[in-house]
Amino acid sequence: MMAIRELKVCLLGDTGVGKSSIVCRFVQDHFDHNISPTIGASFMTKTVPCGNELHKFLIWDTAGQERFHSLAPMYYRGSAAAVIVYDITKQDSFHTLKKWVKELKEHGPENIVMAIAGNKCDLSDIREVPLKDAKEYAESIGAVVVETSAKNAINIEELFQGISRQIPPLDPHENGKNGTIHVTQSHLQGGRRCC
Amino acid sequence: MCSPEEEALLQLEEVFSVTLDHINNLVLQPLLKAAAEPSDPWGRECLSLLQQLHRSSRRLWEVTKESLHSLQERLHHPDSFGLEALLLLHSADHILQIHIEYIESYTSCVVVNVFQKAAKRRSEYWRAQRKMLQQFLSGMSSAGSVGTVLVQALHQPLAHHVQQYVFFLLSLADTIGEHHPSRELVVHAAELFGNLQSFMSQELDQAMATQALRHTLSSRVGDVLCTPSRRLLQDSQDIPVTVTPLRSERVLLFDDSLVLLQGHSVHTFDLKLVWVEPGQDGCMFHLLTPEEKFFFCSKDPQGRVVWQWKVTQAVCQALRGKKDFPLLGAGLKPSETPSCRCGAYTFLSEGRFCQATYEGEWYWGKPHGKGTLKWPDGRNHVGEFCQGLEHGFGIRLVPQASEDKFDCYKCHWREGSMCGYGICENGTSEVYKGYFQEGLRHGFGVLESTPQAPQSCRYTGHWEKGQRSGYGIAEDSDRGERYIGMWQADQRHGPGIIVTQAGVCFQGTFQADKMVGPGILLSEDDSLYEGTFTRDLTLLGKGKVTFPNGFTLEGSFGSGAGGGLHTQGVLDTAGLPPDPGSTRKRQLGLGAFPVESRWQGICGPFQDFVRAGCPGDLQEALLGFHVQSSKELRKSQEYLCCERTHPEDHTGRMEDILEELLQHREPEALQQCLRKALTNSLHPLGKLLRTLMLTFQATYTGIGANKHLQGLAQEEVKQHAQEIWAAYRGLLQVALQRKGQALEEAEDAETRDLQVHGLVLPLVLPSFYSELFTLYLLLHEREDSLYSQGIISLSLFPDTKLLEFLDVQKHLWPLKDLTLTTNQRYSLVRDKCFLSATECLQKMITTVDPREKLEVLERTYGEIEATVSRVLGQEYKLPMDDLLPLLIYVVSRARIQHLGAEIHLIRDMMDPIHTGGLYDFLLTALESCYEHIQKEDMRLDRLPRRWDLREPW
Repeated sequence: MMAIRELKVCLLGDTGVGKSSIVCRFVQDHFDHNISPTIGASFMTKTVPCGNELHKFLIWDTAGQERFHSLAPMYYRGSAAAVIVYDITKQDSFHTLKKWVKELKEHGPENIVMAIAGNKCDLSDIREVPLKDAKEYAESIGAVVVETSAKNAINIEELFQGISRQIPPLDPHENGKNGTIHVTQSHLQGGRRCC
Repeated sequence: MCSPEEEALLQLEEVFSVTLDHINNLVLQPLLKAAAEPSDPWGRECLSLLQQLHRSSRRLWEVTKESLHSLQERLHHPDSFGLEALLLLHSADHILQIHIEYIESYTSCVVVNVFQKAAKRRSEYWRAQRKMLQQFLSGMSSAGSVGTVLVQALHQPLAHHVQQYVFFLLSLADTIGEHHPSRELVVHAAELFGNLQSFMSQELDQAMATQALRHTLSSRVGDVLCTPSRRLLQDSQDIPVTVTPLRSERVLLFDDSLVLLQGHSVHTFDLKLVWVEPGQDGCMFHLLTPEEKFFFCSKDPQGRVVWQWKVTQAVCQALRGKKDFPLLGAGLKPSETPSCRCGAYTFLSEGRFCQATYEGEWYWGKPHGKGTLKWPDGRNHVGEFCQGLEHGFGIRLVPQASEDKFDCYKCHWREGSMCGYGICENGTSEVYKGYFQEGLRHGFGVLESTPQAPQSCRYTGHWEKGQRSGYGIAEDSDRGERYIGMWQADQRHGPGIIVTQAGVCFQGTFQADKMVGPGILLSEDDSLYEGTFTRDLTLLGKGKVTFPNGFTLEGSFGSGAGGGLHTQGVLDTAGLPPDPGSTRKRQLGLGAFPVESRWQGICGPFQDFVRAGCPGDLQEALLGFHVQSSKELRKSQEYLCCERTHPEDHTGRMEDILEELLQHREPEALQQCLRKALTNSLHPLGKLLRTLMLTFQATYTGIGANKHLQGLAQEEVKQHAQEIWAAYRGLLQVALQRKGQALEEAEDAETRDLQVHGLVLPLVLPSFYSELFTLYLLLHEREDSLYSQGIISLSLFPDTKLLEFLDVQKHLWPLKDLTLTTNQRYSLVRDKCFLSATECLQKMITTVDPREKLEVLERTYGEIEATVSRVLGQEYKLPMDDLLPLLIYVVSRARIQHLGAEIHLIRDMMDPIHTGGLYDFLLTALESCYEHIQKEDMRLDRLPRRWDLREPW
């Protein structure tokens, strides 16, 4: 039996870039229908094999509205990975993405795996963000990057496979839930000062 | 028809009653007169013995008259009175008893030579009466002194009379034939009086021997030993016997005691407390008394047999409390003296029991069973004994030097000292409830001053050899302080926290009762001082104060001239407001008092109990009495007394308890069973929980209701859940062992955590909830007040305006659900949208179980989704962009008080397996709503002018 490893993944990005569509596509496009409970499109889970482990992604959506940005730390605390989504047809959304990356670097969990998803690649004719820009940026921050289309189911699997690959293998001396252990159980807002 | 025997009997009674009358008039009355010299104690004794004899003689006369009367009745009306109507037949036992009484009074006089002495006093008179006396001595020579004649005169007629009784009764039995209905009565009476003859002669022999003994003893010893009621049964001068290791020249066996004589010393042993260990053969046997053990050695085996038999019979007779009839050793035939007895004894040899009197049950020379021990200084112990020592439950009273106050120890004893649980009152000033070992407070215990005491204090914690040691909570209500921390040798020592009534907290290291070295002070206004202190906790030396606004003052502190605080330092006003975690929410004591061992003094005895296999008789000693509060202490005394009388109930109950655990092992049943056990204050688990609650209240209520202690409290509750689970597993193991089974699976850490969080924590949490929740309330007071401002401000919005304000997308507004009258403008509708979700969320406060609260949250989400799906006419999976505003709407409408405290308590008590999962997500979403509502634009955004209600419509 393979060890199941729970990985908390949070979704960040402007409202309207298709965060939840990517997850819905990822979760639904699959034979795995042993219904795990969800909260609409806001909280979903999916288990995929990775090497000799099973990765169970616990995917937390966040509200993309500007006014809720300050609440984001509550959601990304304890995440093993963050999927930051932008819309290739909206330069602004790529800006927001950069802000998120900066915030995660400063306040996010240590060693968080970042994956950049340029969504709506089916609309590349009205693209505003060149793939090259995204790739260069991703490389500079050591992040996974793919252009996806939730609508046409392009690169969705690849996005999460990329995350799986980036997750450091389990330290045999530590027990199973490395990825999801809360860095701090403190009740302090945001848990920013994790030890 | 009367038989000649009956007539003879009648004559016999006639003669005897006359004789008795004569004896009374001619002998007893003059003797009484002569003896009357009450000034001399000896004279007084003679008088009372003679009066006794006179009374017995009168009764003998009366019963003879009655007997005579019944014979006469039958003679005159033989048809209406059958043979069985004769007093002599139907009340033979009664008549016999009166005879025995007379014989005893008479022999008592004989033993102490009453008649000789009385005769000597009026020798002239009696010499003159010698002839008269002769009439009572039928056919016997009247040689000898007047005294001897008197002795004979008071005995002969009776002996003759009894002899005649036997003769006539036997011939009557022969006459009436085998089948006469009253024959059995006649035979019985004949037998009785036959036995009486033997009894009389034995009594007379013993009396004579005792009287004779007196002459062989010095007068002092003789006076002591030869009392009227005592009879000599055996004398080592007749059958020699030596005693080892005690030395004695002569051994005397009386009917009530065994006496060893050595020179002038007399060693007396009460026969009631003499045990005979029979020698199988040879010339030796063993005797046991409360303080001595010795051997009797005779010259030959026959001698041993006689002595052993006599001592054994004498002991048995003494224990029966009445003379064997007709002869010593008659009737029952015990070959051994009984092992268990009741008796009283005053200890003489040096030691704890010196001069103390024990009254109660004995076993082979040792107090064993229930008994009372009283010392001459007023100390007093009532309880159970074992092998001569206090063992089991006992109540001891120790008088205090002053006034009529007592220390009262109601506790369990082991081999003579207090061991296990007890309740001890010291006079009226303090009460200790807790564990003892070797007579000293040891383990967990609560020492509390009583309401009457001049000073009010309470210590709840650990003890070692009578001193406070280990983790403990001390409350000094006069100073308004509570110390939470480590103790050693009755002093505060090691890491500790002081919380004051005013809300100031100190944390530091204590030594010899004082705080030393660097420490911190958290004042009630959330400023923090880090530095050193004087011994009475004022700031001294280098330190740094951080004010709530972020200003810091670093420098050296000391007492000012005017008594105030004096400081020299640098005030830094540039600092950012401190992270709330550093002062406002700072938690004290984390890591200083490892939670696993914090209350080991409570769990330790439980483990001992389980390890011992849950013996019912140790339940109370190890798990404590069934007492809930000091108010019930009075009642508990009664309880202890009546409870003592049914100790066997305990063992029975324990078996039932274990059986019940065995039968409820499936998850559902187990939960029920545990719930029942934990609410039952007589159940071991219930007792454990109650003691844990006691410590929790001692720490975190009153002065301890301080937000800086929340961290300590919450980890303690979780630990308690683990302890209860471990206790349950222990009991289960014992229950299985008793059935010869083993606990099948060794429990791994994961299963245990699952059970602890999923099963036990929800069951124990209610017991700690109110104290715990108070701490959360205090800790989140500020956020909760901002949140309530937000709620109040948002409550002014009509539903649609609020939905708009929260940026809920228009297509999700559930306006279809509303039926609006024409007079209503939808903009003013309130508390109608998402009503089902709001009402659902409000149910969160109806339970204390974190899991149930989370389930409420999940259902609330379900209600939101259902409403939205209905509005859209299709199933809709809400992304967070849509869900969060809706959730904020619902939370603001649900108006749950103290939501911050709720959320954080749920998070702390939530099963860690949910981390990162659905429940964690929902709770985080709720928390983010809570945070959002606190924001300024939520709180201060009063109804904008454009939504002014005064706008006419």
